[in-house]
Amino acid sequence: MRNRPTIALAGNPNVGKTSLFNALTGSHQTVGNWPGVTVEHKSGICHFNNKVYEVIDLPGIYSLAGESPDELVARNYILNEKPDIIINLVDASNLERNLYLTVQLMELGAPLIMCLSMVDIAEQNGIFIDTEHLSSHLGFAVIPLILNKKFDITPILQKVEEYLSQPPVPSTIHYDEVVENHLENIRQIVLKAGLCVPEGEAFSCSEKDAASDTNDLVTKSRWLALKLIEGDKEISSLLSEEDRTLVEKERTAIAKHRGQEPAAVIADDRYAYIRGLIKDVVKRKGKRRQTFSDMVDRVVLNNIIGLPVFFIVMYLVFLIAVKLSQPCIEIINTYLGWLFVEQFGNLLTWLSVPHWLTYFLSEILGGGLVTIGSFVPPIFFIYISLSILEDSGYMARAAYIADKFMRKIGLPGKAFIPLIVGFGCTVPAIMATRTLEKPRDRVFASILTPFISCGAKLPVYTYLVMLFFPQRANIVIFGLYLFGIVMGILTGLLLKKTVFRSEPGNFVMELPAYHIPTINGIFMHTWHRLKSFLLRAGKTILLVIIVINILQLIQIPTGNRGEKTPLLELGGKLITPILQPMGIKNDNWPASVALISGLFAKEAIVGTLQGLYQNSGGKESLNYVASNIKEGFGSDASAIAYLIFILLYSPCAASLTMLFKEHGFKWMLFDFLYLTLLAWMVATLVYQILAFNTLSVVWFATIGVIFIFIYIILQSIGKKYAIKT
Amino acid sequence: MPSRHNRFRFRRRGKHKTLICEPGKCITLDQLPEGCRATVIQNNNLITIERGLYLGAPITMLRNNDDEPNVIIAVGDARYALDRRIARTIKVRIT
Repeated sequence: MRNRPTIALAGNPNVGKTSLFNALTGSHQTVGNWPGVTVEHKSGICHFNNKVYEVIDLPGIYSLAGESPDELVARNYILNEKPDIIINLVDASNLERNLYLTVQLMELGAPLIMCLSMVDIAEQNGIFIDTEHLSSHLGFAVIPLILNKKFDITPILQKVEEYLSQPPVPSTIHYDEVVENHLENIRQIVLKAGLCVPEGEAFSCSEKDAASDTNDLVTKSRWLALKLIEGDKEISSLLSEEDRTLVEKERTAIAKHRGQEPAAVIADDRYAYIRGLIKDVVKRKGKRRQTFSDMVDRVVLNNIIGLPVFFIVMYLVFLIAVKLSQPCIEIINTYLGWLFVEQFGNLLTWLSVPHWLTYFLSEILGGGLVTIGSFVPPIFFIYISLSILEDSGYMARAAYIADKFMRKIGLPGKAFIPLIVGFGCTVPAIMATRTLEKPRDRVFASILTPFISCGAKLPVYTYLVMLFFPQRANIVIFGLYLFGIVMGILTGLLLKKTVFRSEPGNFVMELPAYHIPTINGIFMHTWHRLKSFLLRAGKTILLVIIVINILQLIQIPTGNRGEKTPLLELGGKLITPILQPMGIKNDNWPASVALISGLFAKEAIVGTLQGLYQNSGGKESLNYVASNIKEGFGSDASAIAYLIFILLYSPCAASLTMLFKEHGFKWMLFDFLYLTLLAWMVATLVYQILAFNTLSVVWFATIGVIFIFIYIILQSIGKKYAIKT
Repeated sequence: MPSRHNRFRFRRRGKHKTLICEPGKCITLDQLPEGCRATVIQNNNLITIERGLYLGAPITMLRNNDDEPNVIIAVGDARYALDRRIARTIKVRIT
């Protein structure tokens, strides 16, 4: 046993695992990724009776079949890490379906405790569960909980303590007699092959273990035999060709006996066991009637009202993020500026710190902190809105409504959820694509996520739009969001016809019961996302601001008369001619530099523009920055084109890294090149329309030719690199 | 004759059509009219079996519009949006 016993939380999605995890660990949590995959890994520390426990929140899954990355992560964690106790959280209002995972955990021989959540909702629906009776059938403790009220975790932890010294023995699930015979035959093949207990990363055990037919060994070998009947490729690959043929014979016999696929036979028999259990321990009062969620769904999913409700909800998310964050940004800018720049600078001067160090610490570092601070409100409000949508159960309905449209662009409705998460940040949005079953859908959805303006782009839009269009700021910002969605749809249609020509994956999605989200749950959820965003983006932004200031300070000789030009200015001027067709004039090189810094983090665009325009034009005071920027852009048309370029061009470095991790270098490069070229084309098109002149026709023709060229390339990519479905 | 309770009307391509639940009739899930109850008699799709659509599972069709790519069904106490392509592969008997 480890020094610190491990408790793993396992259960279906939307059963309240996170609430229990928060209750057990409080604020002592860390969020990371499971090794090798970008499935979120949450762990925390729990103290009870002077003992310390490590709590692991496994991904929400329906089964241990290993079909999706989530299922594989949960299964491999239980097999390889062997947690000391698994708390299986089960939704009491939907006991039958939830028990399917419990049965699989029991078959694994895992030391289990069951926590029944949503007991109150079950009772409202006329479902009463005899927990004592259920516990006696299962062979381990069953603890009822009401998660939306403050609940006592002591009984759970007392049971954990008890089970650590005396682990429970779960009951064995028996299949039909013929299946049992074939199961036993396969179990013998497993034992002969030396495949019994997965030790570490290998599924093998010593001969000594294999010889002793202990209870544990029976359980593990039986589980492996079940997996072989289910056709598990990972376990099957560990057998010799000869053994595989023998297993296949047994599988064929099962299929012949039941007239079903062997995997379906096993699943059916598990449900037969569950049905028997439910008959015994659940009492229903009254007839099964319409639930509150059914009634709400009649309105929310209605043919006529459903779509307007959907758009109103989406508009509200946007409105909350923009309207509520604007005053907060001003307050944060004023007070953090006063504290970190003015007062901190004064303190350093009073302490006689050298001028260059004072400048670096107060103006550059302090100013950088103010910039980061100003990003917190929009991202905070977007995450709050997303948490409410998720926790209330509306997100799944939104995906259902969106499915109709998503199909048209070649994606299943489920892909709508990662796209919505993209309003917060593209990185978790790409991570969220893992919930899609088909690799084709995961790649396709990941490529489209940058079209959804992330929270980091909002401060950039707000700053520039308030500068150029203060009277119509809301409409322009909303228009940008909408334009991104339209461009995403057009790209979807283009990619569906060229790169991703196969059919999207099947849509099977649970519509969870509506809940009133708890304030604690929403804030915990938001806090973890915001913290992770700030830690990741904050470091990058601060680094970008420092690097840009250093590059601005480094000057190299450029003229005959000993004239010197900052390195940054030189780099900016080098790429500005490419951006000229979209209205970026030669002397507006800071705008080009800002786009480069935006590759590191989108929020850095504002900081870079402010920093560079503070020094250019000779007007040193902060009050003149805005007018310097306006002067630099010259016209509203170039500002609009610039905003469109920011909206569409390559996602930030963190998102590109995530794309690389999820789908490889090829797709990361594709996304970078496609989006940057598309941004340039669309921004140029918009600028040339708004500032039409004789040369505009040439640019229209150029864009047309480039588009045809892109179409041909995309078609050849579709032929060469088609993703297997 | 189907009972009055088992008669359901729903909109289809702008026309009102009356679809009738005929108890005992075997059809594919995507053909099950709204409001009808049925029992699964054939299903080889593992994902849906794992979600509770096992042989003999009682289900209710909550929403089935021909012009939509999905149907909504009640399986026990759970509600699922199910792809019409999958629904076409599941056979049910109207109860």
